Amino acid sequence: MDTILLDHLSKTYPGGKQALKGISLSLGEGEVFGFLGPNGAGKTTTVKLLTGILSPTQGHCQVMGTDPSREPEKTHAKTGVVTEHAQMYDHLTGLENLLFYASIFGISPREGKDRAMALLSRLGLEKSAQQKLSAYSTGMRQRLSLARALIHRPRVLFLDEPTSGLDPESAQQVNSLIKNLAAEKGVTIFLCTHQLRYAQELCTRYGLLEEGSLLALGTLEELQKKVLQRPILQITARQFPEDLSFKRTGDLCYETEISSEEEIPGLLRRILEAGGKLYAAQTKYPTLEDIYFSLTSKKEEEP
Amino acid sequence: MNQAMSAIIKKDLRSITANRRFFISLLIVPLVLALFLASIFVLTAYFAPEDPDIQAMLELLPQGTLTDDPGLALLHLIFNYILPVFFLIIPIMASSIMAASSFVGEKEKHTLETLFYAPLSLDQIFRSKVLASFLLSMAVSLLSFLGMFLVIEAEIFFLMGSFLVPGPNWLVMLALLSPSVSLMAVTLIVKGSARAQSMEESQQSAVFLILPLLLLIVGQVSGLMLVSPWILLILSLICIGIAWILLKRAVKGFAYERLLG
Repeated sequence: MDTILLDHLSKTYPGGKQALKGISLSLGEGEVFGFLGPNGAGKTTTVKLLTGILSPTQGHCQVMGTDPSREPEKTHAKTGVVTEHAQMYDHLTGLENLLFYASIFGISPREGKDRAMALLSRLGLEKSAQQKLSAYSTGMRQRLSLARALIHRPRVLFLDEPTSGLDPESAQQVNSLIKNLAAEKGVTIFLCTHQLRYAQELCTRYGLLEEGSLLALGTLEELQKKVLQRPILQITARQFPEDLSFKRTGDLCYETEISSEEEIPGLLRRILEAGGKLYAAQTKYPTLEDIYFSLTSKKEEEP
Repeated sequence: MNQAMSAIIKKDLRSITANRRFFISLLIVPLVLALFLASIFVLTAYFAPEDPDIQAMLELLPQGTLTDDPGLALLHLIFNYILPVFFLIIPIMASSIMAASSFVGEKEKHTLETLFYAPLSLDQIFRSKVLASFLLSMAVSLLSFLGMFLVIEAEIFFLMGSFLVPGPNWLVMLALLSPSVSLMAVTLIVKGSARAQSMEESQQSAVFLILPLLLLIVGQVSGLMLVSPWILLILSLICIGIAWILLKRAVKGFAYERLLG
């Protein structure tokens, strides 16, 4: 069974804005799925549809076999959600906030406290547990939101820009927790972000979204093949042989597209045999950013 | 009521005590009506029992309820026929601020969306909000009654060397009429709060909605008090029925999307 299923999902807001245009995809258990696109692409709308906060205009979706728009309470019991607009109570401490949400999910006070303390410690917030939320920084609030979303041990986690406002150390803590949840506990992660480099560190599969339409879907390798972008061999060398079809990109720097890594030893041998002095060689694969921009520019070129 | 609903109720009640300004404004109405105004009535009855206007009012009372002492007779009138009406106003006024902020307050603080991600239906969240305000109104009402009762009895004992016995009107008022009217008012205010875009809008609509209703009921009840506790009882049962219907139908047409919008 698919953990998350979107079937021709569309959403048009009452004002007439079409936020999502017939998106179809499915996710399995333990996947870390990066749902990527610029602000306003439809990422948050998708999360709201998958959590039953919005109802689709067309198509349907399922989370752990439940239709969120028909049975939102059942969906919420199995999922955790972190979004920018889902805040907690300023007049309560970090621990009290977590205990409140634990009791809402039917967890006993004792169990709730154990889980809350473990999560606070894992996210580096144990020293701030007794501080009122009003004294928390943006990054601390963000980490506490993640703890709140995990307090009932959900099987699916929706994260909408989870590391915005986090310092590098906190972002690393969050990333390590997310990776661990997916790999060891089999939690399916649906991560929405516009930070493509960040997504590439964390996700196992990607969906690239623009203006409510899915541009591409797949693993990094699949996306690289889709845009027909080949790896680039970058060389730093002196007395570079002129007969080789490399493009000069800087002082002593040259690069060329290769079809596979098998070409590299032959090319390097030719440089050395022609009297070139080789200082460095590296292969650069197309990043998510390269793929995204390649896809969006292709779309613009289409009539 | 499940654990999740009681958690929301506890959290809402706690947010009242945590906000000092809110808490003080909550106490003003009961202090003025139940203690200050009630004490003025006692002093008036003690110092001016022979006033012709007061005598004319006493003659309207059912025969057999009066004592020989005109001061005590007047106090009996005030205590059993006028002061109970205050207990329609006190609980509603005390809980109106909390009820008016119940949904829109959470929306403004961006905590409503988080609450919607809980495994609770909109109906359960709505009922939790109504119950929190209703419980507050009842707590304020009962504490005000106890405070008023102790102060008035002490004043009467020291001034006149006697005590007043609460009549059946009090029982009907505190146990049935006041709770049912409060529940009606709180349900309407919380519903208004769910639809409001800002705290100001919610509070204004609460005042415009509740004041006419309150004046209508207070006006009728103060007359009915003099007739019979049985009529009060029937009126209470009607109000309980209306409150129940209002609570059942309040969430019709509610959707997460509209409430967050």
